[in-house]
Amino acid sequence: MNDLATLKSDMEGCSRCSHCKWVPMAQIKSWRFAKICPSVDRYNFHAYSGGGKLIASNSILEGRSEVTDPVMEIVYRCQLCGACQVSCQAYRDDIDLADVLLALRAKCVTEGYVLPEHLLMIESMKKEDNTLGLLKADRGVWAKDLDLIDINTQKVEVLFHAGCRYSYDEDLRSSVRNWVRLFRNAGVDLGAAGPEESCCGGRAFEMGYQGEMKNFAEDMIGRIKASGAKLLVTPCSDCYYTFKYLYPKNGMDAGLRVLHAVEYADLLIKQGRLKLGKCASLRVTYHDPCHLGRRGEIYKMGWNGVNKLHRPVRFKQMGNLGIFDPPRNVIRSIPGLDLVEMERIREYSWCCGAGGGVLEAFPDFADWTARDRIEEARAAGAEAIVTACPWCERVFKDAIAAGGDPMKVYDVIDLITMSWGG
Amino acid sequence: MKLLPKDVYRELADALGEENISQEPAVLDGYAWQPAMNLTNQKWIPRPAAVILPATTEEVQTIVRICNQRQVKFKAHSTGWAAWGGPSQEGELQIDLRRMNRILELDEKNKFAVVEPYVCCGQLQSEAMKKGLTCHIIGAGPNTSALASATSAWGYGGTGLSTGYSGRNVLGVEWVLPDGEVLQLGSPGSHAGWFSGDGPGPGLRGIMRGFSGTQGSLGVFTKCAVKLFPWYGPPQPRVEGILLDVETDVPETEKMFFVVAPSFKKYADISYEIGNAEIAYWFCRSPLNAGVDLFMPRAGDRLFESKPLRALLKAFQHLGVALLSSPSKREVEYQEKVLRKITVEHGCILLDLSKAPGYGFWWWLMGVRSIPTALTFRAGGDFLTSYGSPVEYDNAIRQAEVAQECKQKYIDQGYFKDDMSDIGWGGIYEGTANWGHCETAAMFDRRDGQAEGRFKYLEDSARTTIEHTLGLGLSNLPPGAWKVYGPQLHNYHLWEARIKKAFDPNSVGDEQWYVPSIDEIEPKESSSDEQ
Repeated sequence: MNDLATLKSDMEGCSRCSHCKWVPMAQIKSWRFAKICPSVDRYNFHAYSGGGKLIASNSILEGRSEVTDPVMEIVYRCQLCGACQVSCQAYRDDIDLADVLLALRAKCVTEGYVLPEHLLMIESMKKEDNTLGLLKADRGVWAKDLDLIDINTQKVEVLFHAGCRYSYDEDLRSSVRNWVRLFRNAGVDLGAAGPEESCCGGRAFEMGYQGEMKNFAEDMIGRIKASGAKLLVTPCSDCYYTFKYLYPKNGMDAGLRVLHAVEYADLLIKQGRLKLGKCASLRVTYHDPCHLGRRGEIYKMGWNGVNKLHRPVRFKQMGNLGIFDPPRNVIRSIPGLDLVEMERIREYSWCCGAGGGVLEAFPDFADWTARDRIEEARAAGAEAIVTACPWCERVFKDAIAAGGDPMKVYDVIDLITMSWGG
Repeated sequence: MKLLPKDVYRELADALGEENISQEPAVLDGYAWQPAMNLTNQKWIPRPAAVILPATTEEVQTIVRICNQRQVKFKAHSTGWAAWGGPSQEGELQIDLRRMNRILELDEKNKFAVVEPYVCCGQLQSEAMKKGLTCHIIGAGPNTSALASATSAWGYGGTGLSTGYSGRNVLGVEWVLPDGEVLQLGSPGSHAGWFSGDGPGPGLRGIMRGFSGTQGSLGVFTKCAVKLFPWYGPPQPRVEGILLDVETDVPETEKMFFVVAPSFKKYADISYEIGNAEIAYWFCRSPLNAGVDLFMPRAGDRLFESKPLRALLKAFQHLGVALLSSPSKREVEYQEKVLRKITVEHGCILLDLSKAPGYGFWWWLMGVRSIPTALTFRAGGDFLTSYGSPVEYDNAIRQAEVAQECKQKYIDQGYFKDDMSDIGWGGIYEGTANWGHCETAAMFDRRDGQAEGRFKYLEDSARTTIEHTLGLGLSNLPPGAWKVYGPQLHNYHLWEARIKKAFDPNSVGDEQWYVPSIDEIEPKESSSDEQ
């Protein structure tokens, strides 16, 4: 991963045009939903924007300023949603904004500028192999009575990785169990690690504890290889991003195909192996999780030049090759559902608010961000907001419960289950 | 690092709330990094002493009054792109207007909108379209403030043919003067609504912005009305993709063409004809070599190295993009016939873009949303602009010709990227008005240093502007350019300095991008008059 100093040219490339604050200009559809960066939209000073953080990083690197408590708030009150990079790279070939944000956090952690809430999570990861501060021994409880193949003792073709949130969040337990039932129904034999499953490490990396991810990755890759699996399926978008982008970017290869559960469901439907029933009439909108959408874009390897102005466009992480259509395909394949789109979608989607350690350290900001998205769903005429990430689902559900909002929240699997009369 | 006196900071924080003011160095540096139009060898511009975020006109007044009482200079900006929006010296207060971000009124019948400073042109356009209207978007792009370009800056948008330029679009204005008083210009000054900039009510447009705007040196504009124009497309067009991947449906009442002229003179002639015929929504000069650099800069590098390919691109040097837009298919067919006739009569070539794949991309990004300027970053990472005097259009085109020669010398010395030099961009203003705009951008990588050479180019562009009597252009914008242009143009700087003194007696408005204090420059002029 890049050290901050190696990204100086990216920082100095910022022209302060502020495109990073807006939805890509071609896609502005209204006054209300034209903004793309929750951080600067909530806290206003330019330093909170993507470009502002490039400038702050450069300022710190040049010794013009230091990391202080207010600067830490700027660094960590950011979901690392990647929207700023999408809007920037619409015009810029030579700036990898998201890399700078990650490197800035790593620098902060290395120098001891850490948040206690993040430290708690890291401690939990180290002790209990999960991000939620819960017991490792309980990790496999979600799969009770599902009779999944135990990859610790048997070889499998398809490995199901539930992820921390799905493993422990009891509100979401039926979703993860239904994913397993769905794939079983299509004739897929799934294996899982049960209580031996551990965190992918992606959250640690994002919060700036980059070295921690390596330990988790090595453990994960070892288990995958031992299982003989050819395909890894996960319903967690955070884990998906870690496997598809962070591991290869950091030189780690799990050596198998990785699919998000909605991608796999879409594939099985197209192959005729899954048939969906009818749902009660419902107008829904789909929220693109950042880690499945723009940040779920596969890591583009192969360019080793120095001057990014000469980098071919195909090597830019523009976010437009993320997973956008499979979840929509699945929703559209369920009769009774009316899928309407919000204004900010696909690679220019508004974040749910949960990412980057914000949910843990600044829950009010996560809630504020989620409410903006719920408002957008309402403006689109939706009765329900559907997503494909347990973190998004959690923060939406909490925001709706706190606000007494009638909006419903579903995972894609919940709709599939409903189509089966579940 | 110069900070505000503690008691001044406290007074401001008490007035606006702690969360809306900062003097944290890393936050302040967010306002000290302004590469665009930073024409020095310094990477950073002066760091402000504090930054403050007002949300209302009353809060702006409070800030400005405190600045007057405590002799603190201030500089306000809206969307905040380019060095003219930042402080010119340490110790200043940066007023960031981003919390003033509302569209207050959108008057469909009288075709205007009232906006606050942080409404960007893309937002305004998207809301106006829902009511069958659109707005002028300056060349800098839809990410910029509609209010700032109308009140404080000068800029041409590709729709100049039908919408005029930024200074022609401003109607009623609310202005916090440099002494803290609020003045409403035009019809709002007599409580008659926002429809007029010149009355009933005080009509001080000439003083407020004059020819090129004061770049935030003469108080703070907190609201303004801008003109809106008919939009014949759908209220919310279907647009997929974000840039080169954009796909959309072009209404059959819109058509787009490339018009290729054989020479500078012929290009000017055909532009006059199009203006006089009162057709087209957009007609703007955009040499093909410029398009190559914007849309495929790395391919451009290779193309420009090949003499035969340079020759081929040169054949499309005098290229203009025409967008015909009308309420009916029949009307657009009429406009097309007129355009074809004019083209033939002037020995030009007409290429119908509507037959080309990806046509929707050109229509939406260039013709409607005016996005291409930001693509200028792709070739070198940065750019500057020059010439661009609003003059009779054949003179504007002459600027492209002069600029081509002047810029080539600097390309040869490695100060600018090779873009075949002539990328003169602009068009006729307001149909039959027969005046127009043509500015020349130059692309470079600021990270390689060499600022002196680029500044020298701007000096050279100013010199050649005078030598060829091309008018007062964008080259006059850098601080101190009044020294060159003032004596040539009726000593306008002295008038400006007197206005500045009358409106800003305590000299708290940062004057760097406008004109120095009259006390500083008048004695020199008096002695030169005596000689």
